[in-house]
Amino acid sequence: MSVEPFNRLVKLAARAFYDDITTKGDNQPKTGRSDNRGIAVVVLDALTRRQWVREEDLAKDLKLHSKQLRRTLRFFEEEKLVTRDHRKETAKGAKIYSAAVAATVDGLQNGREGDEKIKLHTHSYCCLDYAQIYDVVRYRLHRMKKKLKDELDNKNTVQEYICPNCGKRYTALDALRLISPDDEYFHCESCNGELVAESDKLAAQEMGDGDDNARRRRREKLKDMLQKMEEQLKPLMEQLNRVKDLPVPEFGSLQAWELRANAAGRAGNGDSTANDPSKSSQGLGYGGTPMPFLGETKVEVAFSGVEEKADIKSENANSPMKVLPPWMIKQGMNLTKEQRGEVKQELKMEGTSSPAELSDDKKTTGKDDVKNLQDEYVKAYYAALLQRQREQEEAEKGQQERSNTNISNGVNGTSSERQVGVKSKRDDDEGDDDVEWEEAPPAGNTGESYKVNDLNVQADASGDDDDDIDWEEG
Amino acid sequence: MFFHIVLERNMQLHPRHFGRDLREKLVSKLMKDVEGTCSGRHGFVVAITGIENVGKGLIRDGTGFVTFPVKYQCVVFRPFKGEILEAVVTMVNKMGFFAEAGPVQIFVSNHLIPDDMEFQSGDMPNYTTSDGSVKIQKDSEVRLKIIGTRVDATEIFCIGTIKDDFLGVISDPATAS
Repeated sequence: MSVEPFNRLVKLAARAFYDDITTKGDNQPKTGRSDNRGIAVVVLDALTRRQWVREEDLAKDLKLHSKQLRRTLRFFEEEKLVTRDHRKETAKGAKIYSAAVAATVDGLQNGREGDEKIKLHTHSYCCLDYAQIYDVVRYRLHRMKKKLKDELDNKNTVQEYICPNCGKRYTALDALRLISPDDEYFHCESCNGELVAESDKLAAQEMGDGDDNARRRRREKLKDMLQKMEEQLKPLMEQLNRVKDLPVPEFGSLQAWELRANAAGRAGNGDSTANDPSKSSQGLGYGGTPMPFLGETKVEVAFSGVEEKADIKSENANSPMKVLPPWMIKQGMNLTKEQRGEVKQELKMEGTSSPAELSDDKKTTGKDDVKNLQDEYVKAYYAALLQRQREQEEAEKGQQERSNTNISNGVNGTSSERQVGVKSKRDDDEGDDDVEWEEAPPAGNTGESYKVNDLNVQADASGDDDDDIDWEEG
Repeated sequence: MFFHIVLERNMQLHPRHFGRDLREKLVSKLMKDVEGTCSGRHGFVVAITGIENVGKGLIRDGTGFVTFPVKYQCVVFRPFKGEILEAVVTMVNKMGFFAEAGPVQIFVSNHLIPDDMEFQSGDMPNYTTSDGSVKIQKDSEVRLKIIGTRVDATEIFCIGTIKDDFLGVISDPATAS
């Protein structure tokens, strides 16, 4: 995106429209010394050579009083040529901006590192808003032309009236409401002031309209004015046309620009530490600004880790399966047939298939993942259950003085017992499998949800196991 | 511009009108209600020319009034931008003059009066050409062109111009009478 044509547009527009703008209040006498016409052009020109700039720095560069500059900038803000941003920041925070400036092309390095007060200052920044400038200039031209043209062949204009007191505007369409019974003028609805026809002001100020000669002269004058306008603004219009299809340079908001400029500068310099005050100021929290740019955040998802984990898990689960605590066998016995089948399937997947099948499709890895979760859940569940049982037993024993230690023992014990519990359960299942291998239906494609249910049922069943045992054995 | 269109309206009729001449009562009430009103959409209802049909009446609970949906043909008048109208001047002042074309009020501002006409104040304020041959005053008839309309829900107001060829006074009350 090239800024040059747009800069030219800004410069032309500045000279065309803001040449004789004075930012002094009307009440102040305009002596020769305080006449600051042309300041606007200077400021705009300076802004075309910068991107975001702190207003103090700009004032320093232009050797202007910052108040004066601010007034000018506020005017431009109202004119929609300039975007401004104000923020509170510490002196250090302000350095980020300095770094950003240093990183931009024109390398305006300013010696503003002196004061290191931690006090918060409000700093104002400003930047040209090229997209809006383009629109604003076009709109301005359009309005100028329309006004003159309307005035020129004013047979088709709706007359406008303005109240000199309160500035309220009316059109001729309001005429019915505005007539007063007392005299032959229109009166303002709100302040009852006498309304003045608006278009009179433009061309007929100096000559009292009345004689037809004056009207004709006025018409000529208008035509002349229009012609002159076309002629004088021709370069501006050409520039507008040239710029029309170009991409508009966009600096974004102040923060975005800072981040970008800093990043670009860092990329260009290659060193991220030496010239980067953002790093040093991280701890100090410059209010209102985001964290400095820390490089692109990259998230890499590696699936291989899951597989490995699954393998490890299954191995862990498989190896000590032989140890069967007697209480666990009882609990494990109370399984319905379907459950057994599914559990068997599950175990099969875990034990044998996972190394083999993992390679052929992703789904199995997903299943394994779920299984891991389930395993963990089961482990935790049994551990909790165990602990509960222990505590209950111990509470029943009524040995108050030892309960604390026991509980702690129990807690310690869980780590080992948890393992045992789960494994024994699995073992148990295996045992069941062995017994009822033929009966178990090959429920190969049971979904995960089944298994989840299964586990829950199993867990629940562990509570009311006694009946089932009887039933099974009987 | 005038249009002949069909409109519909729900008429409420008092029970005392129920009888042999219910229909006539309904129509006369409709005329009284509708003629001379203005709607932003259709313009001024000038006259009812006929009844298309009267629907089934619905007796209102509690009141005994009956609501008839009535479809009627009527002539409406709606001014449009660019339309040429003939109007009667009703008021002249320094800002211009007001005129009426039937129910429509039109304002012609002094900028839209030909440059050679000047305002003359006095007992009978008027706009007169320098040679005095043409005079616009109250009750003059003028031909004007509408250049702007304001259409509210119940009101239409127009701005006109006589600053164009063949526009202006068509009959001077002073010479006519």
